[in-house]
Amino acid sequence: MLSVAVDAKGDLAAALGSHPVGFQPHVVERNISVIELHPEESFQEYLRIYFKVPRFTRLTPLAKVFDFIATGVPGPRDMLVVGKIAYEERRRDGNGRPMWDLIVVDSAASGQALGHLTAPRAMLSLVRGGVIRSQVEWIDRLLRDHARTTLTLCALPEEMPVVEAVELYGELRRQAGIAVDVCFLNRVVTQSVSPAQRKLAEAMVAPEHCDAVQERLGGSPEPLLEAAALIDRLHEAGTRHARALRAKLPIPVIPLALTTTRSGLATSRTIADAVSEALA
Amino acid sequence: MTARVERRRAERRGPRREEWPSFALGERLGALEVVICAGSGGVGKTTISASIAMSIAAAQDKRVLVLTVDPARRLATALGLKGIGTDPVVLSQTRLRRAGLPAHGEVVAAQLDMKSAWDRMIERYSPDRKTAQKILNNRFYQRISDSFVGSHEYAAMESLFEIHETGEYDCLVIDTPPSRNALDFLEAPSRLSDYVGARLLSWLAGPSGLGLRAVNFAAAPFIRIADRLLGSELLAEVADFVRQLQQLYGGIQQRAREVYRLLRSPVVGFVVVTTLEPGPFAEAEFFCTKLREFSMPLRAVVVNRMLPDALRDPSGKVAATTLTEDPRVAGWLSTELGQRISADTARALGDHFLMGNALAQRDWRQFSRLAHLGDVAIARVPLFTDDVSQLEGLVRIAGLL
Repeated sequence: MLSVAVDAKGDLAAALGSHPVGFQPHVVERNISVIELHPEESFQEYLRIYFKVPRFTRLTPLAKVFDFIATGVPGPRDMLVVGKIAYEERRRDGNGRPMWDLIVVDSAASGQALGHLTAPRAMLSLVRGGVIRSQVEWIDRLLRDHARTTLTLCALPEEMPVVEAVELYGELRRQAGIAVDVCFLNRVVTQSVSPAQRKLAEAMVAPEHCDAVQERLGGSPEPLLEAAALIDRLHEAGTRHARALRAKLPIPVIPLALTTTRSGLATSRTIADAVSEALA
Repeated sequence: MTARVERRRAERRGPRREEWPSFALGERLGALEVVICAGSGGVGKTTISASIAMSIAAAQDKRVLVLTVDPARRLATALGLKGIGTDPVVLSQTRLRRAGLPAHGEVVAAQLDMKSAWDRMIERYSPDRKTAQKILNNRFYQRISDSFVGSHEYAAMESLFEIHETGEYDCLVIDTPPSRNALDFLEAPSRLSDYVGARLLSWLAGPSGLGLRAVNFAAAPFIRIADRLLGSELLAEVADFVRQLQQLYGGIQQRAREVYRLLRSPVVGFVVVTTLEPGPFAEAEFFCTKLREFSMPLRAVVVNRMLPDALRDPSGKVAATTLTEDPRVAGWLSTELGQRISADTARALGDHFLMGNALAQRDWRQFSRLAHLGDVAIARVPLFTDDVSQLEGLVRIAGLL
């Protein structure tokens, strides 16, 4: 499996327990590789594969020009992101088998993601001939093939991310024709505070008990009341937003529990187990 | 109920309208003419940008424009509006006051209209109407100016400068795209200038407009690749576009210099918005470093969604640990409180605190790292569990800035 980070920030590699990786696939776990996309590197690779242009150093004037095309001109940059992913999908090993069974892409933020996914359509309306026309056509076909490409939405249990997820779903269906199969609602507080717990927290801070309780517990019970109230509200917000998403999206909405551990392999495994369980 | 508990409950409820604080950040930033808000995706940047605009309007009698550059249409949601079109939407003093903001000024919200910003840029820098029209009609130009993600940054910086120049608003608050794109945003003027002035363009344009056949020796391999890649029809269109664009070079280069001067001037301030999640926080630190490299003035860091200090209370942690680990505590509580308390109930209550404590401790470690920023103002916005996207919610945040 190949994990692709569109923004080369190192977050995806860190979540898979690896140090920052580069443009070449790097094995981080058995059967899992990760790469970070750099449009300039994509462009060099593209020119090497299709035009036999040797790798050039950053110092040459030609490199400066190509760097600018890859990173500065709107259009090529978007296409190089999508094109590299499509290229990896097409790659075969020495035995002619697909290099990857599955490619998982950590996409850009929603405003940018739509631009990336609609880039092939925009490019097709511009390019009428040349090598690039047929390449963009197969990239576009790949993205629109619901059997091969799907998109999962990720939202947080807050109003704005929920609104944005719903809007993005509509735009993706309308503009990009891409299948959207599931929405994850991340960082949901799954524990609720029961009436008995709430009653206990309130009773412990009552003036007639507070001092005795504090002495017996070895610490103040007041922060516990505050924590319970916060957990209660966060749980309620998660439930409310999951309900709103389910009402507006015709796809499964899967809440994922808030974790207190740092991002890393252990956390990713916990989340992977939760996803597997939910999708089973 | 103890006074302490009552005080904490009051803190949770938030201030009553007559208790609004002094809008300290609004006071501080209100002296500026341009406030640029940057930060990672998903940290609440649009909400904070709108709240900063309100905080300034509350602190001072200013006309404040909050302009979003983010292609995701979050600003309208943040303001509780159905949508913001190309025309700015005025949030009058009356409306702001109704929402609880003791406004002295006025807030106006607008969304970047990318296409018309590009068109205006072409019209402004073209030496004559005919050149402008030729570029505006070029198919290649039409696509790059309205279809691709990277187009936003160029258009946004131009709009920022253009609006600032009109003097129509006392203060502009810019909600930028997520940080990595925000860096593109900062580099946009010089990139555009490089683009137009690049050797590539001379090669594509051909000497004195003689066309693609008349290129020099160095450019020949590039042209051959470009021809095979794009096809001769598009390449000719690109070359035509480039030929026209070269006439704009002087104007664009001049504008790039002016924009850089503005961004480094004392009337501009950057506000970095972040949460204490490791990813966004690392990106905020990266952005602060970049601002220093660019000699651009960082005025404040707004830390959004901070957990209550009570969750880090060491005394609370001891109490919670006793509840989760002492098997006899439930029995003692039953006797003391005069009600039956099960061991599960006591343990769960302790667990709730310990979960919050783990998150709050992690957050605090990150927060402490902001000390290295020196005299930059740090504003803390607590985690709100109810929706803050309506105007009243933004007013509530504005009061905390």
